Amino acid sequence: MSAYTKYSEQELVALLLQQNDQAFSYLYDNYSPALFGIINQIVPDKELASDVLQDVFINIWRKIRSYDQTKGRLFTWMLNIARNAAIDKLRSRPYQDNLKNQPLAENVNSTAANSVIGPQVNDVGLKKLINKLKEEYRVLIDLSYFQGFTHEEIAKLLNIPLGTVKTRIRSALIQLRTLI
Amino acid sequence: MNIQEYISSGIVESYVLGLASPEERIEFEEMCAQHPELVEARNNFELSLEEQARKNVVPPPMGAKEKILSAIQQSSASKTSKLISMEPTTRRSSGLRWIAAAAIILFLVGGFLAFKFYNENKDLKTELRSSQDAQAQLDQRLKKMEDEEKVMNDPHTTVVNMVGLQGSPLSANIYWDSTSANVYMIVKNMPKLPSDKQYQLWALIDKKPVDLGLFDGGEKVILKMNNTQKADAFAITIENRGNTGGPNLQELQSMGKAKL
Repeated sequence: MSAYTKYSEQELVALLLQQNDQAFSYLYDNYSPALFGIINQIVPDKELASDVLQDVFINIWRKIRSYDQTKGRLFTWMLNIARNAAIDKLRSRPYQDNLKNQPLAENVNSTAANSVIGPQVNDVGLKKLINKLKEEYRVLIDLSYFQGFTHEEIAKLLNIPLGTVKTRIRSALIQLRTLI
Repeated sequence: MNIQEYISSGIVESYVLGLASPEERIEFEEMCAQHPELVEARNNFELSLEEQARKNVVPPPMGAKEKILSAIQQSSASKTSKLISMEPTTRRSSGLRWIAAAAIILFLVGGFLAFKFYNENKDLKTELRSSQDAQAQLDQRLKKMEDEEKVMNDPHTTVVNMVGLQGSPLSANIYWDSTSANVYMIVKNMPKLPSDKQYQLWALIDKKPVDLGLFDGGEKVILKMNNTQKADAFAITIENRGNTGGPNLQELQSMGKAKL
């Protein structure tokens, strides 16, 4: 488990607010493998994932002032930055173009609906946990968490009512809670 | 819904994972402010999520850290370089400002100096003029004195002693150069006259009086009188001021015979 006490996390934040290089280096050393793990689960391409990681840490450096300790832990804040950056990359024009240029067989699994159950759900990290969920939940978590689709978009994609999407995601999360 | 139901509704996970809608987030944060047990539940899920993530680390590629650090330095450098890129304009404009300031200062100093020099020049000119005037006056006086002295020392000069008649205290000497015809009179003592009266010097030539000039009395003054080539005698009368007529011999004050 984390080697950082609540206090040291506060200290780290305080130092980052002062734009302390050493604190940032420490932050990278201690959090980048975990964040890169998450990014990799969303953006499988190592090179692109590496780009995302770079964006994530630059954003952390720049946006540290917007971090509010009352709203959650530093890791949670960084995790969400990483997730959003990875999803942005996933949806970015170059990434999509790159997919289009790939042979059809690979491309098929890359489109949102197909990729849900497909091989993109690799067997590491959170995705490993998700694989333990009931399939109907797994799809929803993958689409919402790993691909960043809104509930409305998922409802459209899967052709199920919005209310059902919401309830199922909640249920999926409750189940996930017990698995973590 | 009580707080336990709320906690177990999946909202905690939804919030932490960033899946909650904006409305749900606001509601959750408000609930957190009121319910420490909700914060505790959130914190617990966050910790387990972090723990889970730490179990599934993927080492970032080699050199990624260096890239990020240099990107950050570049971004701070680009912040700086933004400043730097502004600097030339700033510098130029500040340069211009300096030049403008310098120009204004030069203008003011120049103006001040010009004014000062103008005034000094004016003062000097005035002084020079007054000096020249004084010089001219001195020259004039000197020339006059030289002339007088020349007359007095000249062997051709005749000195006529004029003494007051009828008990008059009048006393004067006339220096008459018969060669140059210059006539000077040194007034030793001549009583002051009423302001409508003046003394008049006459030369008597062949018994006829010739005007040699009107003058006021005084003491120890040298007067240059009209020239005369000839003179048998000199006479001083008291006349009306500015007299143009002949001598009023009733008011004859003094007579002196020119010894030729």
